[in-house]
Order: sequence, then structure tokens, then C-alpha cells
Amino acid sequence: MALLERIVVPSLLDAQPLAFGPISIGLIIAGSIAWMLFGLLYGASLGKLYVGLDVADGPARTLTYHLGWFALTAFILGGWIITDISPIEFFSGQGLQGAGRIFGALLTPEFDVIGEALSAMVVTIFTAFMATVIAVPLSFLLSFPAARNVMGRGVAARTVYYVLRAFLNIMRSMEPIIWAIVFSVWVGIGPFAGMLALVIHTIASLTKQYSEQIEDVDDGPIEAISATGAGRLQVLWFAIVPQCVIPFLSFTIYRWDINVRMATIIGFVGGGGIGTLLTQYQGLARYHEVGTLIILITAVVWMLDVVSSRVRQALR
Amino acid sequence: MALLSVRNLTHTYPNGFHSLKGISFDVEAGEFLVVIGLSGSGKSTLLRCLNRLIEPTGGSLSFNNSDVSHITGDALRAHRAEIGMVFQHFNLIGRHNVLNNVLYGALGSSPTISSMLRRFTVEQIRRANEALRVVGISEKANVRADTLSGGQQQRVAIARALMQDPKLVLADEPVASLDPATSHSVMTYLERINTDMGTTVICNLHFLSLVRQYASRVIALKSGEIVFNGQPLEITEEWFRTIYGDEAVEVEVR
Repeated sequence: MALLERIVVPSLLDAQPLAFGPISIGLIIAGSIAWMLFGLLYGASLGKLYVGLDVADGPARTLTYHLGWFALTAFILGGWIITDISPIEFFSGQGLQGAGRIFGALLTPEFDVIGEALSAMVVTIFTAFMATVIAVPLSFLLSFPAARNVMGRGVAARTVYYVLRAFLNIMRSMEPIIWAIVFSVWVGIGPFAGMLALVIHTIASLTKQYSEQIEDVDDGPIEAISATGAGRLQVLWFAIVPQCVIPFLSFTIYRWDINVRMATIIGFVGGGGIGTLLTQYQGLARYHEVGTLIILITAVVWMLDVVSSRVRQALR
Repeated sequence: MALLSVRNLTHTYPNGFHSLKGISFDVEAGEFLVVIGLSGSGKSTLLRCLNRLIEPTGGSLSFNNSDVSHITGDALRAHRAEIGMVFQHFNLIGRHNVLNNVLYGALGSSPTISSMLRRFTVEQIRRANEALRVVGISEKANVRADTLSGGQQQRVAIARALMQDPKLVLADEPVASLDPATSHSVMTYLERINTDMGTTVICNLHFLSLVRQYASRVIALKSGEIVFNGQPLEITEEWFRTIYGDEAVEVEVR
């Protein structure tokens, strides 16, 4: 007991996070090997306990399994060190004091800013709304060439399909916050830049969702309308679109909901609205005002979430 | 000269499955031809090759004295517009009303843009209402198609085919998802457009009792080949075993 009190506890409290370097890498590998050997010794029983599967089936699978166990251990140990996880700092007196100060300020909001905050919130909501409205017709048009079943097996059609899909994937992989930085340089800081950023991301996302819905439609009506001698446009319009209208509407409403959240974040980097206001007050360390803004954002996002899910449910 | 003439028709799916292995037959105007055979014997593929919903991989098709094996574009659309089609699952546009569904039978003979704006002519609307009257479902004209029962939906589908003023109607197992009583009602409407209007019908069926009642001639397919071509009454117990295999037992639909 004396050992625990005098040596282990104080040294744990004084311990510093281990820097990522040769020593820590060595430790990670050693620890992972030890853990793997431990697993081997106990017939991989720990792993079986975890995955609930009888994986020890043949030497190849056993090997794969132990290597997997080794890799998982190494990733967790390595991740711990690389991300500087430090319970000591989390629970340090100074840190807790700072957190208490901020939380205290946030929980005693300064409602003088509510007028300014509300008008900024309106800007954010409409940034998201306009981005959605502008993106919808473009996404609608793009979703047909991005749908496999519409494009058929022809070489030219397939090329268009793959190029468009790849292009959309790249557009979607670039976060709107990056587009916001680009556009705030292009058209100047403000809601217009934020809206343009959201338009790009919304087109990429909605086109993907729309086209997947198109790929999911029942083939029966397509056959039936084609059999009347209808042309390709007529088949799209009469056999495919009626099956997609309601899901499209549902995706669109949900996208507006997501866009309001994104518009807030985009405001941090110059996209206007409530996000920009929040960074301003945060920069001035006026946490009582920041508290007001956070409460407002939370309330609006929550309300939109409820409304959009109600509407989407009613549409089903 | 026959209305439809099929010569050595073959079809192979992209995965290499030979669904039709050289089919030849003629159909005279006014016939009620029934195609029977096990599931997977090629019946549905055969029907879809006739209006080129499925592209045959070989052989030739002649309809109404013209070769339609390789036509494309407007000629293909015109060919399809002359042939009405009825499906097992009705394939109506569920969210649209019954009258509109019937009007869609005229899509093949309507200009693209005006049809997409649903600008149908007074004459077309009159004919759609007339087609609905023929299948006895006029009172449902303004009801959403997906609210109708299966039998009613199939009658709307027949009205849509009639809207095309077709020379030939293809029916792909039109009663396979209906109960026996409704089946007879739907078959009766097909029989009526055959006898009263003189429209040629080619129909895929499963039940021999229906075949004997409605067919004027029968073709049986087995693994993509024609194994029987004759009168319904000629299908003896022996033929039945040849077509459906030794284990098969006939099921009666009254």
C-alpha cells in the first residue's frame, strides 16, 4: 500500500505525455507484440470474446487473426501517443479553472446582442436556403446522366457517366469550408461567398442522392412506357420522374437542414451570418455574447431538425 | 402474308445464357396465340424481342410486311406504337390518375415536348375515355392508379394498350398476379379485343385451363426452343410431360 501511495500515484500525476519519436515507436511495437503473444498464449480467447466468432480455423486464418490483433493494438497505442492524449492535462487544476470560467460565461448569456444575433441567424438560414434552391435544378438535370440505368451500356454514355461520377466525388470530397475560403477571396467575405460554397457542395451531394434514387426505380413502368413507342425523354419524364418526386423532395428538405448547419460553420471562415458574428465575439473573448449565439444556433438547428424530419415523415 | 413472321430468332444474355435458340413461327392477323412453358423457358424474352424491348442477338422479325429486325430511332418508336403491351405487374404510373395512364398509350404518336406538358388533344382524351369504357372502368378515370385493385389496374393497362390502336397486343403473364376470378375477367377483356376488334393477341400463360379456354393456337417453349405448335386441344398428357417435365402435375384454374 505504501508503494502505491508514495511512488505510483505521484509519478502517474507527474507523468508527461510521451512524445512521438523513436522511443515511443519502439514502445508501441513492443507493447503490441506482447499483447499478441498474450493472445497466442491463451489461444486467441480474448479475440474470440471480442468478435464472438470462431476464427481459429486453419493456420492462415490464425495468422491473419493474430496480425490483426497486433495491428489493432499498435494503432490504439500509437494513436494515444500521436494525439497527445493526456488525462493529466484534462484533470489539471488550471485547466479545470479555465473551463469553468468559459462554461460560466456561456451559461450566463448576455442578451444585449440578441437583435444582432437574430439578424445574423436570418442571413445564415437564407444563405442555406438560396444555396439549396439554386442547386436543386442543376442537381436534377445532372442526376440523370449520373444514373447507371439511364445511361445504358453504350460506350459514350458510360464514359459520360464515369466522368461525371468521378467529378462529383471530387467536388464532394472538398469540404465546403475550403470552397468558402476560395469564394471569400473571389467575391469577398460575406454571405454570397458562403452561399456559393454551399451551392457547390449541395450540387455534388444532391446529384449523388438523386441519381441513386433513379437507379433504384422499378423497371416495370420504364418497360411499359417504352413499349408505347415513347422516346427517351418521355420515358424519363413519365416512367422515372413520378417514382422519384417524393424522395427527391425529402432529400432536398434534409439538405436544406444540413446546409443551415454548414452555413454556420462556413461563417467562421468568412461566409457571413451567425458564424462570422460568433468568431468576432470569440476573438474579443466576450464569452457571455458567445453563449447567446450558441444558444440561438442550437435552438434553430434543433427546430429545423424537428420540422424537417416531420415533413419528411409526412412525405413518405 | 402473316401479320408477324419470326425467323430463326436467337437471344443470348450478356452472361452467356442462351434464352432463345432459333425460334421460327408466323402469326396471322386475328389470332389469339398463347405461349406456354416453364419459368425461364424464354417466353418473356420472346415477347420482348417482338417489340424490341429486348434486342434479339440473331434472326429476323417481320411485322406487317416490313422487316423490323434492325430498325432504330423513329422507325422503332413507330413499330412499338403499333404494338400494345400488358405486363404481369401492370406497370402503371401509380402516382398518376387512371385517365393519364391511359393517355400515356399515345406517347409514341405524340410530339415529345407537348406530351411532357400533358397537352393531349381533345380527340386523344375522347379515345382514352372510350378505352376505359371498353374495359368497364370509366368511373375510376380520376382516381390515382395505385389505389386500384390488381384486376382493375390490369384493365387500365389493357386500356392503355388500346389507346395505341394496336395491330397486335402482347400480354406477358397478364393474370399471374391475380386471383382466379379476376384472372377470368381480365382474360375476357383480352378475348373481347381479339374477337370484337379483331386485334391480334400474343399472350404468355401458365395455366393450361386458361389456355384451352382462350387460345386459338398454342406455342410451347422449352429451354429456348419451340417444342409444340398447334391447337390447344391437341395438348395431351404426353405433350404436357414433354413441355413441363415428367414430374409435373396439371393445376386447374376454374
